[in-house]
Amino acid sequence: MNDTFKKLFSPIQAEEALKDRTKEFLAEKTQRYIGVRVGKRKHCLYAAVCACLLLMLLGGRWVYFTPITAISIDINPSIEMGINRFGQVVSVDGFNEEGRELSSTLNVKYKNYTYAIEQILNDNNIAALLSENEIMTITVIGPDGQQSAKILSGVEACMTERGNAYCYFATSEEVAAAHESGLSCGKYRAFLELRLLDPDITPEMVRDMTMREIRELIDSLSDGGQIDTSSFDNRGNGHHGHGGGHGNRRRNGRAEQ
Amino acid sequence: MRSEQETIRAIEQYSDTVRRLCAVHLKNDADTEDIFQTVFLKYVLSSVSFESDEHEKAWLIRVTINACKDLLKNFSRSHTVSLDTIIEQPSRLPEDYRDVWEAVFSLPQKYRDVVYLHYFEDYTAPQISRIIGKNVNTVYTLLNRSKQMLREKLGGGYEYE
Repeated sequence: MNDTFKKLFSPIQAEEALKDRTKEFLAEKTQRYIGVRVGKRKHCLYAAVCACLLLMLLGGRWVYFTPITAISIDINPSIEMGINRFGQVVSVDGFNEEGRELSSTLNVKYKNYTYAIEQILNDNNIAALLSENEIMTITVIGPDGQQSAKILSGVEACMTERGNAYCYFATSEEVAAAHESGLSCGKYRAFLELRLLDPDITPEMVRDMTMREIRELIDSLSDGGQIDTSSFDNRGNGHHGHGGGHGNRRRNGRAEQ
Repeated sequence: MRSEQETIRAIEQYSDTVRRLCAVHLKNDADTEDIFQTVFLKYVLSSVSFESDEHEKAWLIRVTINACKDLLKNFSRSHTVSLDTIIEQPSRLPEDYRDVWEAVFSLPQKYRDVVYLHYFEDYTAPQISRIIGKNVNTVYTLLNRSKQMLREKLGGGYEYE
């Protein structure tokens, strides 16, 4: 039977014409045997496009969520807001207990910084402190560039109608030193001013003092007074004497550079 | 993708096997050419690395059988070929074997593969089982039944072992 089948199937052979047509068909289908490589190139192209989109997405996310400027607000609650390049708040951090409490109640993330400042100024506790003649300092921290100047100008505009408010500009280096001391930028600046008058002052001593208390202490020492160290045991309670003015700082929205 | 040189070598080496398997299943030249080209296109695009010529041949046999089955799954196609078309195929065969061809072609489809692979390609039942992906015992059964059916159709003039 095997022999029969050999004789039966042997004459069935692929015709040369069929083979030629098949070779031509394959050449056409594979674009002369480069089709799949072209396909691979396409895959590479798609992969590159996807990678670019991913990078743009991640880059966009990075651009949006990276603060390039910060606004430090000190009265006694001390908080800092990170501001992205679009002028929107991307982070809110409290630098003392009151600051943390305030930051937890604020709903200003991803909002414009002027809106955020208005919200802070309208907070009941802040409004009460300001009405009691407490001093607020607002420090704009960032590179000495156009955006910082613009934000500082915006902050000043917000503070125009408010009393006892000081606006400053500070560099990122100052902020790093402030954070290292556990102080917000505005308070750190006041601390440096105070330390010039009394080298024994430590950041811990001023951390929970109100800005008004620090200011009054500076004024007192500037006038040749003595520090009443007992006041640090009752942080934030009472004042430390009254002195003269506030040096060359400008009140109500005028910046000190 | 395989190179043109490799593909042409495979066509020259295995085209007769593919063509015969098509002949076992298909009833007209158009379908045969369609499957023939499909099989070698799959070969070109396949990234399978063959360990040997036997491995490569077994792969092509399996692909051809599957391609034929896929084509025949089309109900209308499998039922619209006239008897004239069926007897067209054996006209290329030696006159003495026309009855054998008709007997083979009258077998149910699942028997034709094993008959061809066993009697012409000399594959054993275990080898066939690996190629067509069926149990060895099933292959033995298919072979025995096909012998029985061929004996019934062709009489006792042939040796069936």
